[in-house]
Amino acid sequence: MADGNTGPSSGEPKALEGLSTGQSGRKSLWQGSSQYRHWRFSKETLHQQRTQINESAVGAIKNAFETDEPGSSMGIEFLNAEDEYALVKLYVGKISQLCGHFRFDEEVEATAMTYLKRFYLKNTVMDWHPKNVMLTALFLAAKTTNHPISLEHYTAHIPKTSPNDVLELEFLLAQSLSFEFAVWHAHRAMWGLWLDFQTLPDSRPEAIKDIYNAAIDHVRMSRLSDAEFIYAPSQIALAAFYLASEELAEQWAKAKGLSPSDLDVIKEAASMISQESEQGGGINVEFVREVDRRLRLCKNPEKIPGTKAYIKRQEAAEAAAAEKRAKKALEADSQDMDVDVFGSKPINDASMHGASSAEED
Amino acid sequence: MDAVEKANLSTSQKYSKEVKVGEGAYAVVYKGREIATGRQVAIKKIKVGQFKDGLDMSAVREVKYLRELQHDNVIALLDVFSSKTNLNLVLEFLDADLEIIIKDRSNVFQPADIKSWMVMTLRGLEFCHRNFILHRDLKPNNLLLASDGQLKIADFGLARDFADPNVKMTSQVITRWYRPPELLFGCRFYGPGSDMWSVGCIFAELMLRTPYLPGESDMDQLKVIFRALGTPTEDEWPGYTSLPDYMVVGQYPKTPLRDLFTAASTEAISLLAKLLAYAPGKRISAKEALHHAYFFQPPNPTHHSKLPKSKPAASQENDTPADKKAQNELYDSLKGGTGTRKRKSSMGHEGPGRPPPLRHGDMASTVTGSSSLRSP
Repeated sequence: MADGNTGPSSGEPKALEGLSTGQSGRKSLWQGSSQYRHWRFSKETLHQQRTQINESAVGAIKNAFETDEPGSSMGIEFLNAEDEYALVKLYVGKISQLCGHFRFDEEVEATAMTYLKRFYLKNTVMDWHPKNVMLTALFLAAKTTNHPISLEHYTAHIPKTSPNDVLELEFLLAQSLSFEFAVWHAHRAMWGLWLDFQTLPDSRPEAIKDIYNAAIDHVRMSRLSDAEFIYAPSQIALAAFYLASEELAEQWAKAKGLSPSDLDVIKEAASMISQESEQGGGINVEFVREVDRRLRLCKNPEKIPGTKAYIKRQEAAEAAAAEKRAKKALEADSQDMDVDVFGSKPINDASMHGASSAEED
Repeated sequence: MDAVEKANLSTSQKYSKEVKVGEGAYAVVYKGREIATGRQVAIKKIKVGQFKDGLDMSAVREVKYLRELQHDNVIALLDVFSSKTNLNLVLEFLDADLEIIIKDRSNVFQPADIKSWMVMTLRGLEFCHRNFILHRDLKPNNLLLASDGQLKIADFGLARDFADPNVKMTSQVITRWYRPPELLFGCRFYGPGSDMWSVGCIFAELMLRTPYLPGESDMDQLKVIFRALGTPTEDEWPGYTSLPDYMVVGQYPKTPLRDLFTAASTEAISLLAKLLAYAPGKRISAKEALHHAYFFQPPNPTHHSKLPKSKPAASQENDTPADKKAQNELYDSLKGGTGTRKRKSSMGHEGPGRPPPLRHGDMASTVTGSSSLRSP
């Protein structure tokens, strides 16, 4: 699958990017990161990505319904990209609650949220329900941020969840993330800015501390929005400070030699965050409940055990695997023939399977 | 089939596996090819199915860091794909490692050769440290060599980000002979300085052609270090006697490095001393080391294409047992720690057997937040 999201987006926000190196012509660390290279969008390309995923999913699921029972896709109200987004967002928010329960570090929480959001830039909720993916995202994030916990311990604290439910989706999640596990977070950038503020002339540590506490709430709110796909972590961090204290943010920008127009993109990011806050996290529970109700009817039948489409898919997968096994067995057989024409070694199914499965991928 | 699965399949179909070149408890390494270009690759297949906690931490770490790091002196991770219950890392194919070169007595090292390997190691490591990544397992066996002589740091299975101040890290990292004294004393707060000690040991090994500080156990390791460098004074390393696992090791006098490294230049000795400084905070950083006078004195480092190599790689069919052994050793480092790594040398001229690599403990034991690793 082509990464539709590579390359700089149009109208790319410039302020703060590459500030850290101060060297022209040399890539900054941020520019070398997988996040910079593969996970940045403009508002438009982000919208396109979601629409495209949704439309191709609806097409495929309609087919699956027809396979199950001709005519059965008629009258089903499939989810659109906005519906999907609303549902995902609800579960992004739920990650915070779970993290509180496990006393996970903020790094784990932020990373899990990013994983869940990135997953649905490549997949549809009609195939994989976010309540399941969320659990795997959090479990994987704990590992990738160096706070691993045992799966048993993890699932023991989550109702109606077996270790297998979590593991089942781990590969799919990792693939969806293109195995890019490292995430740059705004709260880290904020910490850096906060240290920097204290070096400003006539900075008042007490006041800055209050501002920091207000700003971190804005950063947390930003995680529910699309800000991380559009702005650099340092831009989101400065936007959060800007919301907490315009004066301080401007003072800092001036000290760093940024022109007032450089702050335009910061204000843009700030307005995205404050919009999120105004909508109370942007979640209309009634609406999401309705989406979830409709989802029950338009789930991909290939993913629901027992349906004809599911059985057919399983059969196809098994047939492919059997064919591969047969091919390997044949190869092993012909090799055996070369050295062991008279069968001094018994060739039975078990040993052949043993040999071929050891070589299997 | 879903788009994501399709993408995964098409990645896997870009490569062909040819011969198995190494196998361990945790991974199998194949030599393979990128089909479209014929380019040689190494495919490291990690068996995930057997881990009850899913993707294991070494694999997660290796993928996480190698996905981000792109540098001439860091091994390139070309692709990743999964197949059933396995994770496959497609890495650039590398012919040899520094340990093989050091052991091959037919090679003669010029001072310029050593300087060249040092500069490549430090460049790669400076890049890791600049990205806030600690390697935590540097040793000659993890410094791989491309056919053009470029040195590449490999095996990021123990790597991690720098921790914030006050965040504990495990002290059970870095293969014993290359492990710095602060970790042997159980220090839980450390930084890039710990990797720099390993670089010092590697530098010494390049000059001596034998491991510099080959301790037989963790306890013995400290003794070996103190015997070589003298017991540190409180002045040299303030506060070390209050480290968690501190114990009295014994009083050993300081002997000048010059006595052992008779052929080394004054600058080489000076750099070595700074890499092996006892106080981690006083140890030279990778960046400073690259600016050390050693690199600005003649001779210039040998161009990487002109460095000593291991014997030309024979074709598979003609492999001599020695070639096979060399190859197995090379792939040990790619496998990142397996039970097959025991390699007490049959040549018998290098003292004790290599210490076994570190393996990750069961994740269940890490619930408390301290990663637990089995000591060698």
